[in-house]
Amino acid sequence: MSRVGRPAGARTGTAVAAVVLLAVLVGYPLLRLALVAADEWPGVRPAGLGEALRNTVVLAGAVTLAAVPVGVALALVLRRPDLPGRALWQAAVLLPLLVPDFVLGYSWTQAYARAGFTDTLLGVHWAGLLGPAGVWLVLVVNAAPLAYLVVAVALAARAEPDLERAARISGAGAATTAVTVTVRLALPAVAAAGVLVFVLTLGSFAIPQVLGAPAGFRTVTTQIYADLSLGGDPTSFVRAVTLAVVLVLVTAACTAPADVLLAPRLRSQRPADARPAAALPARPAVLRGQTLALGGYAGLTAGLPLAALLLASITRAVGVPPTPGNWALDHFRTVLTPRTAEALGRSLALALVAATLLVLLGGLVAVAERRRAGRTAATLTTLTLVLPGSTLAVGLLLAYGRWLSGTLTLILLAYLAKLWAVAHRPIAGALDRFPPDELRAARVSGAGALTAVRTVALPPLAPALLGAWLLCFLTALHEVTMSSLLYGPGSETLAVVVLNSQELGRIGPTAALSVVLTVLVALPAGLLWWASRRWSAPAREVPAGVG
Amino acid sequence: MLAACGEPTTDAGTAAQDLTLYTCLSDETVQPVIAAFEDSAPGASVDLFRAPTGELNARVAADVRSGGLRADVFWGCDPLTVQDLVDQGLVGGWTPPEADAIPAQFRTADYVGAHLLYMVAVHRTDVPAPATWADLPAAGRTVAVPDPSVAASALGALGWFAADPGYGLDFYQRLADAGAVQVRTPDEVTTGVAQGLYDLGMTTANSAYAAVDDGSPVAVAWPQPGAVAVYGPVALATASADSAVAQDFISFAVGPEGQQTIGASGSYPTRPGVTGPSVPAGAPVVHPDWTSIAADRDAVLGGYQRVFGG
Repeated sequence: MSRVGRPAGARTGTAVAAVVLLAVLVGYPLLRLALVAADEWPGVRPAGLGEALRNTVVLAGAVTLAAVPVGVALALVLRRPDLPGRALWQAAVLLPLLVPDFVLGYSWTQAYARAGFTDTLLGVHWAGLLGPAGVWLVLVVNAAPLAYLVVAVALAARAEPDLERAARISGAGAATTAVTVTVRLALPAVAAAGVLVFVLTLGSFAIPQVLGAPAGFRTVTTQIYADLSLGGDPTSFVRAVTLAVVLVLVTAACTAPADVLLAPRLRSQRPADARPAAALPARPAVLRGQTLALGGYAGLTAGLPLAALLLASITRAVGVPPTPGNWALDHFRTVLTPRTAEALGRSLALALVAATLLVLLGGLVAVAERRRAGRTAATLTTLTLVLPGSTLAVGLLLAYGRWLSGTLTLILLAYLAKLWAVAHRPIAGALDRFPPDELRAARVSGAGALTAVRTVALPPLAPALLGAWLLCFLTALHEVTMSSLLYGPGSETLAVVVLNSQELGRIGPTAALSVVLTVLVALPAGLLWWASRRWSAPAREVPAGVG
Repeated sequence: MLAACGEPTTDAGTAAQDLTLYTCLSDETVQPVIAAFEDSAPGASVDLFRAPTGELNARVAADVRSGGLRADVFWGCDPLTVQDLVDQGLVGGWTPPEADAIPAQFRTADYVGAHLLYMVAVHRTDVPAPATWADLPAAGRTVAVPDPSVAASALGALGWFAADPGYGLDFYQRLADAGAVQVRTPDEVTTGVAQGLYDLGMTTANSAYAAVDDGSPVAVAWPQPGAVAVYGPVALATASADSAVAQDFISFAVGPEGQQTIGASGSYPTRPGVTGPSVPAGAPVVHPDWTSIAADRDAVLGGYQRVFGG
């Protein structure tokens, strides 16, 4: 067998692994759900299905159309090393990812609805927040950081400063260059972000429920929840499962064409530049304008709502003015108990293992889909992403509950199934700029397989792998729906212990939990960032005003 | 630690001393009951699975389709859910002798109510308390009601109002005409009223009093003709019909000691004479007819949804 032409054995191994994992994590659980729907179908079309489906698809489209451009704009602005306070902005933009969805809904009403911050201070509130427009805006704000992360890691992997310079020297303006060169090269990542945001919105539940229900705005996921909530009657359970299967079919119909037809056309053939990525400097006026816009955006979308959340965590009751006289640490006392410490350890370990495995799983699909036969793999992973947590957990119980009910292993499988696409898309968005020729060259020159991967493949992919890891880690850390349905004695996760101790929906303790998680993640991240800056400080000139 | 005298029911097998409990009751109530039971029955151990009703139903449905219900005891938060499980042959067929002390409207031959929820009105302190439920719809005030297709307690209230000749679905029509807003759960009603999003609303007494105790600017009213009582039944799984420890647990939960523990934890006990959280003197209470609500569920919900859209 030739040592060079990528051994056929390894290829077959990758393919077999991908097929087996897809069958275990996606195929079999979905099959079990579909069988429930097919075998026990009561024969009555769920009332309001058409309206719920239309709402869901229109909402997902509208959110994608807004969130992806915002994410791209954020990525373009935040890649400038000369942007004052860049690291701070990067963190601020990602903050909403740390907050569980239903608390985010609350924090927006506290900031902008009747009797909220703006109403109290300025006498203005936004009545439309509790309705379709509010659902759309909060979902956009929630999805934009995700789109930003996917595009930013791709830009880091594929910057072409020479091409951009060439465009500018040839007379193109900054905007033209950004659109025709920078974004054009990042199109696969933009598409990946689009698919991810679209599917996540199709499956989003908490925000449509909290902000949409008061206006009678129903989506497929809120309908599924209503069916599960009401009675242990088998008909409503089968109706919920059937709706979930419909949602999966809609997702397949929307993402398969994008993955099979569109994605290969977006890929460019130029190898990535080996030099570190650096954007061209901007004029001071432009930079000032961008900083101002960024500050406004971050302030309105993250600053004010999250300030509301922080105040909720230290204010003793909902509805009393958040002034120092009303501050108390009761909610933190509820959250920080010996039982939660144990559960926190479990959640951290679970999130670490899940995120690490997910990066491997994501990479596996990204490699597999480079061949024609593997393209459907990418679509398949989105099918478990769109399933609401409750239905995915039911699918896993149906498939493996007989052996694994109540174990951490089943919760881990649920995280892997739910987040596979979230790990895969950022990696896929960066991987296509990585032609196999370079690996072959390394192997021909005598490098072993591992050395070739480590020295040739990993460095340009590192930001994407890290980004994917971070997304999965943060999501798994505060996941509540699936673990609250799957846990058993000795496998309670943090969210299960904290949120189950009272009826779900009490704001104070949940806000305190978000604050604790934020600090827990931000502290090590901040230390790492500081350490990495210290080590690399002599190499780079730090602009004044950073940090 | 050794108990001075052994229970006559204890036998050799340790596995027979374990039981799995499925419940939607909050940790604040169920944990003290479990602790008190384990103290009173040395060697007994309770594995708890607690989840909101939606997740709990999903887990039961998944259990049934993957080897059978894994609970020995099911402690629900409304009779409709538990009756559905009885109809599927999953629970029921047994109640303890202690059930006789529980008022007849809180039990059937298959299950017995161990705790109660009351649907009451919560209002901002700067808004007058509604004296009757008919005072809820009023011009210039925003009312919040919980969604009866999500919260069984709200469905119980809907069932009672729909069946009462003085109210009927007309009541909900008047609420909707006055601009009332439907949110998901009773807890969201309480939070929304406390926040100032709404002026008053329909919620559970537990949720409303918790907000009052925290210091939120709200007060609780028990309007005429009465707060709607919703009882939480506890039932034995049919597959565990022979489990002595599961039967002991149910007896304990509705017996004097279990009921006192429930009352002390902040939930309303069903056993007369046991002290629970505050009920104002002479506060009126009404009891929905659960059998007819179960029979008319789809029709009543359909009528409601024509009023509230969705």
